[in-house]
Amino acid sequence: MAALLRGLRAGRALRGLCSVVAAPPAANPQGSSLRRSFHCAALRLQDESKSDKPPSSSSTTYHEHYQAHSAEQDAAAASQDDSTSDPAAEEASRPNTSYQDQSGEQGEEYETEEQLQARILIAALEFVPLHGWSMEAIAAGAETLGLSSASTGMFYNGAGDLVLHFISQCNSQLTEILAEQHKQVQLGQAEQKRTADFLRDAVETRLRMHIPYIESWPQAMSILLLPHNIPNSLKHLSSLVDDIWFYAGDRSTDMNWYTKRAALTGIYNTTELVMVQDSSPDFQDTWNFLDNRIQDVVNMSTTAKQVQSTGEAVVQGLVGAAVTLKNLTGLNQKR
Amino acid sequence: MAASMRLLFRRVIRLSHRNINVTAAGVSRGSGCCWGPSTCRCFSDAAGDSSTHFGFETVPETEKAKRVYKVFENVAQKYDVMNDAMSLGIHRVWKDMLLHVMHPQPGVQLLDVAGGTGDIAFRFLEYVRSQQERQKRRASRSMQTPSWQDISNNYSTEDVVESQESRAVVCDINKEMLKVGKQKADSLGVSAGLSWVVGDAEELPFDDDQFDIYTIAFGIRNVTHIDQALQEALRVLKPGGRFMCLEFSKVTNPVLARLYDAYSFQMIPVLGEVIAGDWKSYQYLVESIRKFPDQEEFKGMIEDAGFYCVQYYNLTGGVVALHSGFKL
Repeated sequence: MAALLRGLRAGRALRGLCSVVAAPPAANPQGSSLRRSFHCAALRLQDESKSDKPPSSSSTTYHEHYQAHSAEQDAAAASQDDSTSDPAAEEASRPNTSYQDQSGEQGEEYETEEQLQARILIAALEFVPLHGWSMEAIAAGAETLGLSSASTGMFYNGAGDLVLHFISQCNSQLTEILAEQHKQVQLGQAEQKRTADFLRDAVETRLRMHIPYIESWPQAMSILLLPHNIPNSLKHLSSLVDDIWFYAGDRSTDMNWYTKRAALTGIYNTTELVMVQDSSPDFQDTWNFLDNRIQDVVNMSTTAKQVQSTGEAVVQGLVGAAVTLKNLTGLNQKR
Repeated sequence: MAASMRLLFRRVIRLSHRNINVTAAGVSRGSGCCWGPSTCRCFSDAAGDSSTHFGFETVPETEKAKRVYKVFENVAQKYDVMNDAMSLGIHRVWKDMLLHVMHPQPGVQLLDVAGGTGDIAFRFLEYVRSQQERQKRRASRSMQTPSWQDISNNYSTEDVVESQESRAVVCDINKEMLKVGKQKADSLGVSAGLSWVVGDAEELPFDDDQFDIYTIAFGIRNVTHIDQALQEALRVLKPGGRFMCLEFSKVTNPVLARLYDAYSFQMIPVLGEVIAGDWKSYQYLVESIRKFPDQEEFKGMIEDAGFYCVQYYNLTGGVVALHSGFKL
């Protein structure tokens, strides 16, 4: 089935290629077989950034295909400042479009579909303070990219998609920051922090990413608690906590692995809840609360050790007292 | 009890087989159905144009459009009544599901092709209006104490809202169906944002990139060249626009399929004769459903036309399928 589709697309692309080669590139838009405008957004930027690249379509070198492909990746990544479409650039980019179809890689197109969805969601984040975490925000985001608001139908989970996308974006940002810090320590340019301080800084950095959306964050939290979203939100939370502990240097392989992550999950969730209703300047109350909670955990672990050693000492003392009593009463003598 | 049920089933199935055999035999004999001159034409069809199916019959492609036009001209007056009778009112649920999946945002433009009596367009306008009211209510709740700045802003934005009103265009090849639709609109008192256009789905009288949503409900199986209709849909949609198609499709469950076949070939033409006085048109309807490609095949056709993220939902066990694709 996939092969059939690929063949059909390749066939149509060949026909498109022929008609494009026949007509001058600056002509008005031709038949519908060239309407792969879905690639246009990415390729528009590519043409704007690489204005020296000739819009000729007749050469079918593999090298040019690679250029187009890598340029499209760059363009998709740097799509935040997408400007309004330029018909001439659009027309010139069409030859490349039919080119990529000629390579017939279905995998490429699916990758770009997800990238397009990611771009819509990133654009939608701007409208969250106005519309909340909802389909209206996604529709407004799609409109800024030049797409009709009907394209929000692509997001079957609606607002859940938006929130989950935001969460995973924040998590990957945090991971990058932690990796950067780790590299600094490896290179000797920074000092290794104590575990408690490291945890505190990591959680604070992560929670600060919510600050622009803090007004509507309760709505986002409630969306994450919907039954069909719980598996995904739990997955993101657990990977976040795991990353933080990994970069804190935890390599334990016993029960500690679970207790550490459970403790950090508890700290993170409670701090998030405090932050949502915090009204102090720069959320100072929240960071104090975080400090106290981490201190509690640290205290609890030292207390646990102390209790254990005290217990052992007490048992030894009792055994010693029993032996002394036996000696005193003469039960220990062997006659 | 079980034995009698089995007897009943067997009798029903025997009847349906006989009926299908009769219609098949009728077609092959070429005389029973009184389609008259057109069947003779199809035998001597050496003029070089390709043929297509009209129900279980084979006709030249140029003929099909005319025949379909006549069918709908005949049924236009009783179309809605027959829909209710044949589907036992479930067609309303199907159309509501279409709107629910569509979830249109306020301000979108809808094109309803083969929209005929305007069912989808009316539902669309109602949906969008209720959405707008909900938004206004939400906005007013959050603005209980507006500042002077907010009030002055409201004065300036009131005109902008007018231009973003949602619009529904109903396009149909058949003037009779559009007439019935206009009468319905007048009786419902709905006229704002609604237009009625005569047009062929294979050659729409609209410019490129005009509409946000293109729907075709129970109409695409009557089109002679389905791929051309899909190409036209792609053309008139804006980038990011959505194509939605509601159509009868293949029932997956074998038991349900048997019942459905029996019901279709036994009951529906009879209902057509009793209520609308037209057996043949409803025979055509049932046969054209069988000739239409199934869910996966139609999904492939939509993808070939150039739509992305194509998906289909089966309604009522596959009796009706809702296909959706995006122009990206």
